[in-house]
Amino acid sequence: MATNKGTTLAMGGRGHGLKSKAPAMATAGPVSIWMILFVMLPLIYILFISFMTRNTFGGIDYSFTVENYTEMLQPLYLKVIFKSLKMAFVTTVVCLLVGYPLAYWIASKPPKLAAKLLMLVMIPYWTSSLVRLYSLNLLAMPNGFISLALMKLNIIDKPLDILYSDGMVFAGLLVALLPFSVLPLYSSIEKMDRSLIEASKDLGANSFVTFKNITIPQTFPGIVGCIILVFIPALGMYYVPEIMGGGKVMLIGTLVKNQFLVTKNWPFGASLAILLIFITLAILWIYTRFAKLEDLEVC
Amino acid sequence: MKGMKKLVAIAMMVAMVFSFTACGGGGGSAEDNGEVNILMWSNYMADDVVAKFEDETGIKVNFSYMSTSEEAAAKITSGGGDEYDLVMPCDADLTGLINGGYLEEINLDNVPNLENLGEPYKYRKDIDPENKYAIPYLMNFVYVVYNQETCPVEIDEYKDLLDPALKGQIASVTGQRNLFPIALASLGYNPNSTDEDEIKEAYEWLKGYVPNVAGFDSDSAETMLINGVASVGFLFDGQASKGFSNMPEGTLKVAELKDPIQLGVDELVIPAGAKNKENAEAFLNFILDADNMSENLQIMMDQDGQGYACPNQAAVDKMGEDYRTQPALDIPEEMKANYFLQLDVGDAAKVYDKYWTMLMSDEQ
Repeated sequence: MATNKGTTLAMGGRGHGLKSKAPAMATAGPVSIWMILFVMLPLIYILFISFMTRNTFGGIDYSFTVENYTEMLQPLYLKVIFKSLKMAFVTTVVCLLVGYPLAYWIASKPPKLAAKLLMLVMIPYWTSSLVRLYSLNLLAMPNGFISLALMKLNIIDKPLDILYSDGMVFAGLLVALLPFSVLPLYSSIEKMDRSLIEASKDLGANSFVTFKNITIPQTFPGIVGCIILVFIPALGMYYVPEIMGGGKVMLIGTLVKNQFLVTKNWPFGASLAILLIFITLAILWIYTRFAKLEDLEVC
Repeated sequence: MKGMKKLVAIAMMVAMVFSFTACGGGGGSAEDNGEVNILMWSNYMADDVVAKFEDETGIKVNFSYMSTSEEAAAKITSGGGDEYDLVMPCDADLTGLINGGYLEEINLDNVPNLENLGEPYKYRKDIDPENKYAIPYLMNFVYVVYNQETCPVEIDEYKDLLDPALKGQIASVTGQRNLFPIALASLGYNPNSTDEDEIKEAYEWLKGYVPNVAGFDSDSAETMLINGVASVGFLFDGQASKGFSNMPEGTLKVAELKDPIQLGVDELVIPAGAKNKENAEAFLNFILDADNMSENLQIMMDQDGQGYACPNQAAVDKMGEDYRTQPALDIPEEMKANYFLQLDVGDAAKVYDKYWTMLMSDEQ
């Protein structure tokens, strides 16, 4: 959005527009140029090389091919793509299930207290996410806190084998993304018109019906905001599976990284990156079927 | 007044735009004859030795640091090579860089100290038979160590790592070009095979290896040995060295393997278009000098508590007892001689990647 607007402004110098548009150019111009130079052009380049060929030495041959896209359809790559989608999906659902009640509870508090509670959600995120992920790993080690505590309580008799597994990747994604679900949910729940809930109850609806017909529709933008803010990063964040999976769990982010850094197959890596962008756009498009993009509660 | 405001606004915009180009175009100017620009690992060369070079020659050394060896190769191939006069890729990238025409030929007349390198490390027929392109700087072995108290099996070949008794016990470096070679070597094939059937067989071999891995970690695999998560390590000698110094003496031992072990060499190369080629050659000759290199090794050893394996035989001969008897490097000569390098595998890289992805995308 910002890019489109900026581009038109930057190019709007022709004809009568120059005088009236000069202030706009001065304000939005630098950002537009920034976006063009560092977002648009690199993306166009990525799109371009995704149709090129890898040469024998790991460089790029400028000959057109669609092989990079057909390659993706091989079962082994589809498996990685589906596993990533599945992980991101489950993360999103759990973030929603955990984040919604929390956001609802916070929103029901007086504003001053609510602000403090939101602060509590945010405080852990003032530390580096890497530190938080590594400390999760420490907890999960066979001689770490979780195993030792459970053994002391006689719940298990030998250390848990949970370090570096799909489950830990999932836990890492949850820890990394939870506040991104609470914040948009809070901001839409807080704006909700609570008199409608009273009206619904006065008219004899039970809590479930009220929740389904009044609360959910009113907070829908927040729910979608949460889905977008959690699902998309969960798909792309490659350092979480790298750290939590101990290098044993391959998701699409790692696959893209490997294409650029290990195999030196930039064209294939680029085509996978384009696939990620495409999935993101598809989700936004699905959203626009239900609501206006402007209503998106992404703080 | 209104016109004035607009003028100021436009001027500001123009200024902002130009401040960008200034950022983009600046940095790395190497026109001055009196300098040499080096891209390498950080903390991998003693400051005092570099200062000595600057004093002796009057050439100023500017360092930039890389975070992965791929980054070094990518800088050269993507056209940024002329910003540097010396770059330190690893040997695995060398063939691609040479064949792609990305490197300058080194004028060996300016580098007489090349002779100080040990026999196996100069005029290497696999990668640089005339020694025209690369000077080995330091190197590392990738081998197997085990905890003598907790490791349940005897290890004298790679095949022993597949023993089900080791389930979840191995701290391992990762990467397709570190793991496929040991499988290929164990199967009796060329560790740098480009044959899809052999690579597929190696993949089947590795399917037995992965369940035995506690965690893959190329940066600090030794941590898992130290905190007891793993009883075996497949790792770099530098990591093993940290394990040795952090564990009680006599716990850790380097496995005496019958199979060839992998040797990774950090090479110094001159990228095509380097602006200070002669200064770069002067630097190469300086660092190849036996006294300078042994001083370099000693300082780094005092700093980090670990000495690096060094291909410069003349320098190693000058090193004291403490360097030569450190447990991570004090391995049998036969083992040191029975090494293989990671070579460029050309288009087979795609085949490796395919099987690697298959190996890593199974449920964990």
